[in-house]
Amino acid sequence: MDIVYLLIPLSVVLVFFIGMAFWWSLRGGQFDDLEGPAHRILMDDDKPDAG
Amino acid sequence: MSTQDTYNYKVVRQFAIMTVVWGIVGMLVGVIIAAQLVWPDLNFGPWFTYGRLRPLHTNAVIFAFGGCALFSTSYYVVQRTCHTRLFSDGLAQFTFWGWQLIILLAAITLPLGITSGKEYAELEWPIDILITLVWVSYAIVFFGTIAKRRIQHIYVANWFFAAFILTVAILHLVNSAEIPVSLTKSYSAYAGVQDAMIQWWYGHNAVGFFLTAGFLGIMYYFIPKQAERPVYSYRLSVVHFWALIFTYMWAGPHHLHYTALPDWAQSIGMLFSLILLAPSWGGMINGIMTLSGAWHKLRSDPILKFLITSLSFYGMSTFEGPMMSIKTVNALSHYTDWTIGHVHSGALGWVAMVSIGAMYYLIPRLFGRKEMYSVSLINVHFWVSTIGIVLYIAALWIAGVMQGLMWRAVNADGTLTYSFVEAVKASHPYYEVRLLGGFIFFSGMLIMAYNVIRTVAGQRAVDDARIPAVMLAHA
Amino acid sequence: MCCAGCAAVAQAIVDNGLVSYYRQRSALPARDATVPQSLRDLAAYDVLPPGNAAADGDIREAALILEGINCAACVWLIEGRVMQIPGVVAFEINFTSHRARVRWQPARTRLSEIIATIAAIGYRAYPYDRDRAEQARRGERNRALLRLFVAGFGMMQVMMYLVPVYLAAGDMTADVEQLMRLASLALTAPVVFYSAFPFFAGAWRDLRNGRPGMDVPVALGIGAAFAASVLATLRGTDAVYFDSVTMFVFLLLAARYFEMTARAKSLATQEQLALRVPQVAERLSDWPASHAAEKVPALALHEGDHVRIATGATVPADGIVVDGTGELDEALLTGEAKPQMRRPGETLTGGSFNLGNPLVMRVTGVGESTRLAAILRLADRAAAARPRLALAADRVARYFVSALLVVAAAVAVIWMRIDPAHALAVTVAVLVVSCPCALSLATPAVLGAAGGSLHARGVLVTRSDAIEGLARATDVVFDKTGTLTTGRMHLRDVAVLGGEDRSACLAIAAALEAGSIHPVARALTAVAENEIDAAQRRQVGSITHVAGGGVEAVIEGRRLRIGTPAYVGQLCGQALPATIAGVAEDCTVVMLGDEQGWLAQFTLADRVRPAARELVAALRKGGLRLHLVSGDRFASVQHVARELDIDCVRAVATPADKCAYVQRLQQNGALVVMVGDGVNDAAGLGAAQVSVAMGGGADVASGNSDVVLLDGRLDGLATAFDTARRALRIVRQNLAWAFAYNALAIPLAACGLVTPLLAGVGMATSSALVIANALRLLRIERKLSTPVYARTVTVVE
Repeated sequence: MDIVYLLIPLSVVLVFFIGMAFWWSLRGGQFDDLEGPAHRILMDDDKPDAG
Repeated sequence: MSTQDTYNYKVVRQFAIMTVVWGIVGMLVGVIIAAQLVWPDLNFGPWFTYGRLRPLHTNAVIFAFGGCALFSTSYYVVQRTCHTRLFSDGLAQFTFWGWQLIILLAAITLPLGITSGKEYAELEWPIDILITLVWVSYAIVFFGTIAKRRIQHIYVANWFFAAFILTVAILHLVNSAEIPVSLTKSYSAYAGVQDAMIQWWYGHNAVGFFLTAGFLGIMYYFIPKQAERPVYSYRLSVVHFWALIFTYMWAGPHHLHYTALPDWAQSIGMLFSLILLAPSWGGMINGIMTLSGAWHKLRSDPILKFLITSLSFYGMSTFEGPMMSIKTVNALSHYTDWTIGHVHSGALGWVAMVSIGAMYYLIPRLFGRKEMYSVSLINVHFWVSTIGIVLYIAALWIAGVMQGLMWRAVNADGTLTYSFVEAVKASHPYYEVRLLGGFIFFSGMLIMAYNVIRTVAGQRAVDDARIPAVMLAHA
Repeated sequence: MCCAGCAAVAQAIVDNGLVSYYRQRSALPARDATVPQSLRDLAAYDVLPPGNAAADGDIREAALILEGINCAACVWLIEGRVMQIPGVVAFEINFTSHRARVRWQPARTRLSEIIATIAAIGYRAYPYDRDRAEQARRGERNRALLRLFVAGFGMMQVMMYLVPVYLAAGDMTADVEQLMRLASLALTAPVVFYSAFPFFAGAWRDLRNGRPGMDVPVALGIGAAFAASVLATLRGTDAVYFDSVTMFVFLLLAARYFEMTARAKSLATQEQLALRVPQVAERLSDWPASHAAEKVPALALHEGDHVRIATGATVPADGIVVDGTGELDEALLTGEAKPQMRRPGETLTGGSFNLGNPLVMRVTGVGESTRLAAILRLADRAAAARPRLALAADRVARYFVSALLVVAAAVAVIWMRIDPAHALAVTVAVLVVSCPCALSLATPAVLGAAGGSLHARGVLVTRSDAIEGLARATDVVFDKTGTLTTGRMHLRDVAVLGGEDRSACLAIAAALEAGSIHPVARALTAVAENEIDAAQRRQVGSITHVAGGGVEAVIEGRRLRIGTPAYVGQLCGQALPATIAGVAEDCTVVMLGDEQGWLAQFTLADRVRPAARELVAALRKGGLRLHLVSGDRFASVQHVARELDIDCVRAVATPADKCAYVQRLQQNGALVVMVGDGVNDAAGLGAAQVSVAMGGGADVASGNSDVVLLDGRLDGLATAFDTARRALRIVRQNLAWAFAYNALAIPLAACGLVTPLLAGVGMATSSALVIANALRLLRIERKLSTPVYARTVTVVE
């Protein structure tokens, strides 16, 4: 099952990048307000002005 | 006003219209090949045969129809939730024309028999390179738009889109590693059971990230917008996202039960497919419960009917899938039509319905209308689709289980009770019902086409949708 | 529209193009929407440099707390309106915390203008010092979340690598298995060295102090299992425990994160209670030559300055009256419910509230040298000397750790004799399976659940050990004014003495007292509003207020006086009526009379809170000893003690007296819970093992307490004791389970029967049981869009 020599190290590298992504989003304050964004998209008015 | 004050609706429009077009084309091919199974005489010449047309169908519905739906919605959602225009109009246009070219090339090469033989990755190496170029451009446009966002928080739908874009890139690069020997022929970099493992690692994650994560992004934006209610629990949606990321990578081997793949690899495929149930259903509940307190809207709003029903089918498929990955169940279902039934309950019930719902929301707004030309036709489309799906999957459940039972039936002396062709004959009536179901679903798409034409006819395309501006000069 | 005010707001909403507000609004606001007086002093925000206003070139930034938000539409409305102010660069509200960040150009607008705009549409905004509290908390939460994520991710991935090894049961080729182990090692290392770092740090700290806490067995288990697994991987033999290690760290961090967020929510709410408008004083720089006043920060005053204290203003510093006669409300400082008369030459205490005529005061003490500051220093000293609560889990840990080490050592020695090859594996199995998890999960999970459950019922718990303190308390010491009583005067009795009937007397009294903020006036007008309809209202002309006396006015040609018996007696010319003699000592008597004679006698007093009766009864039934300690006069205190049936009473207690009382109880071995609300309680609260403050009282009390009762809900306190006892019971159950589990598992492990898989499964099940047991405490109500507590922010209400 030699293919695992590709898949397993690949997944370890992927885990590292996903961890970086999480760290980046945490630092950027993405988890500071976990209620507001759900409402904000509704406040965004995308109805056309005419008709 | 400068273009930086408005959203780029042009590329959204282009992809949205092509979603409907390719939906019709892809499903028409589906109807054709279903008919070919019922009436084998419908196979003509080298190009118009089941073997050649089936991959055209799968590529057309997944990448042409599904792909255009993802492009249009992701470009729309990322702009509107970040309050900024796309990173590069030019590159976005390249993704559009590039993607259409890929589809065109697929429509030409696949019937010609130019194929790599890898499921959902049949296109040969020149087209694979084109796919890579388009996809890299897509990533640049999408992530570039997020980088220049005016709203600090990145809405959860964009996380799903981001994961889908990055994962598909990795999957494509790894799985399509091939050595060309001529312009129309290449050999996979992997061989034998190793290749099978890579193929189904790709295959299942294509389902998981292209057909699930991407469309969950669509769901998380369009359901709240159409229902005019916030997602039931935003916190849960964020947890749902990360949980899904953790668990999807190892589910691939469940496609290879009882093959040359080692037992333990098959077993973890089964185990993690089962674990996947939790995050999947978390997302489903989150979406459906968004209507909590507003269920009455379902009665009068057919777009919501599409969106919410799609989630029910999503839940059903994500339950059925893990069940089918259990080895004992798989022993019955593998290679039968039950698998096809499962695919279509997910593809028609979840992917198609959520895309259709999103398009019905999007298209009027792109053309300056409050809603589609005829809301009652949307309602008709909904019921037609539902009936079509139910006929389709019911027919194939019965056929599939029957096939599995017939193939494994042994006589007292150990010989097989049925020959293979007997099982094929017994399946025929169900293929007829499946054809009917598929055709009904297809006719629903024709209703949609009519509705879309009447909606956009005579309307001026919206190119001046203003981005809410921050007041005053900036330092 | 209910009134022109609402019409104005609605018009403002429409005028500014914000009509969508009505479409989006999903909840109607609570009734109380008046703009507090304190917000009229908005200029203070521009004069004082708020500690938080950062400058960035020509843009300033500040953090605000917002009040009055009821649903998402409010957020949208405020954001939209503020963004329309010319000069505002950015304004964003966090839906969860109701805190906002605003950036503006000082050249074009001021912070006071922004706050005024928000007030104009019916909401209240207060600047606060972000750095001190919130940044620290946010950083702590983010670090904890990252550790948790790394642990969780590591756990999932390692499981994915090692489960195949288990399932293969020898079917996997050696090189593939080695690959799986190495991958597991690579992903477990960050979990051990980063995520689990707090446990190692805590264990090291505990050992250095000679006091083994829960962190020690945890660190031991993780360390030994990881080390042994690394060794096994390098040697290519034996079992690995990477999955157990990561799962253990994840579960433990999850429980602690849960507890931390519950506590953080309480802390944030507590902070909000302690909001105060920056104190502004009116300095008369040229006294007595000129009466011109300039507004300066209270902290900028010096000894010898003269300040004017208007009606309704807070005294900014300690001082001596030089002009005018005032009536001061000193309840927060002394507990004395009745307003005190202060004439020229008498002292004023910073923080008391002027109910009567304006005064001029010469400052004698500012900042650190005020009486208030002295009380706070006393409170700090008392808190430092407070006896430490020995927590149940910590006690268990001490025995457990020692026992475990002994057993492990014994196992190692024995196995070295019998089968040296397996000695290490078995010893590690013993350490891993001993599951400090049930022990270490038991407490944080329960405390988190208890804290959350109490918060939902209006009881904020800001220190974890407060819950255990409540459960094991022996004595409860109550303050009187504002705690057991409402702290306000209520009309107890009306005796009609003349020709007018009761309603007429009340109508006259209300008319005379209209507009006064004196507690007597408030009580009378409140009753009149309920009982008298509009038709009976009287028109009043030529009103005069006399400090220490009362009010005189003319109604329909008739001269009337209301106030002290002596003052009113001067007008009626009659002797004091006999009814006065029968009035209880704790009551205040207010007479009404005209030129003909007495009209009515009003008897007013502070009233015991209705919930207090039930609370006291419930606590006594629970076996607690109850005490009442107050700074008020003996008669008043006795009255309340008799009404509530409390035996141990102490009156006329200074802050130092209250502190000493608590400490004396503690010297006799008592676990004291003190309940108070005012500054005069601060020292006692500091000394008690558990301090409970009434929300809405002095912020120095509520800001430092372990428990805060929101909206002064005493019924919440009875629940708190119950919940705390339940929590402790569950902790004990969990500990008992942990023991039972260990008693079973350790012998099994010592015999070499526990495989890593079994160890992992056992740990998971054991932990799940403990957590599920803890969650029984959680009966959290369905989350509302925002918590709705009505709260006003004027300095005195």
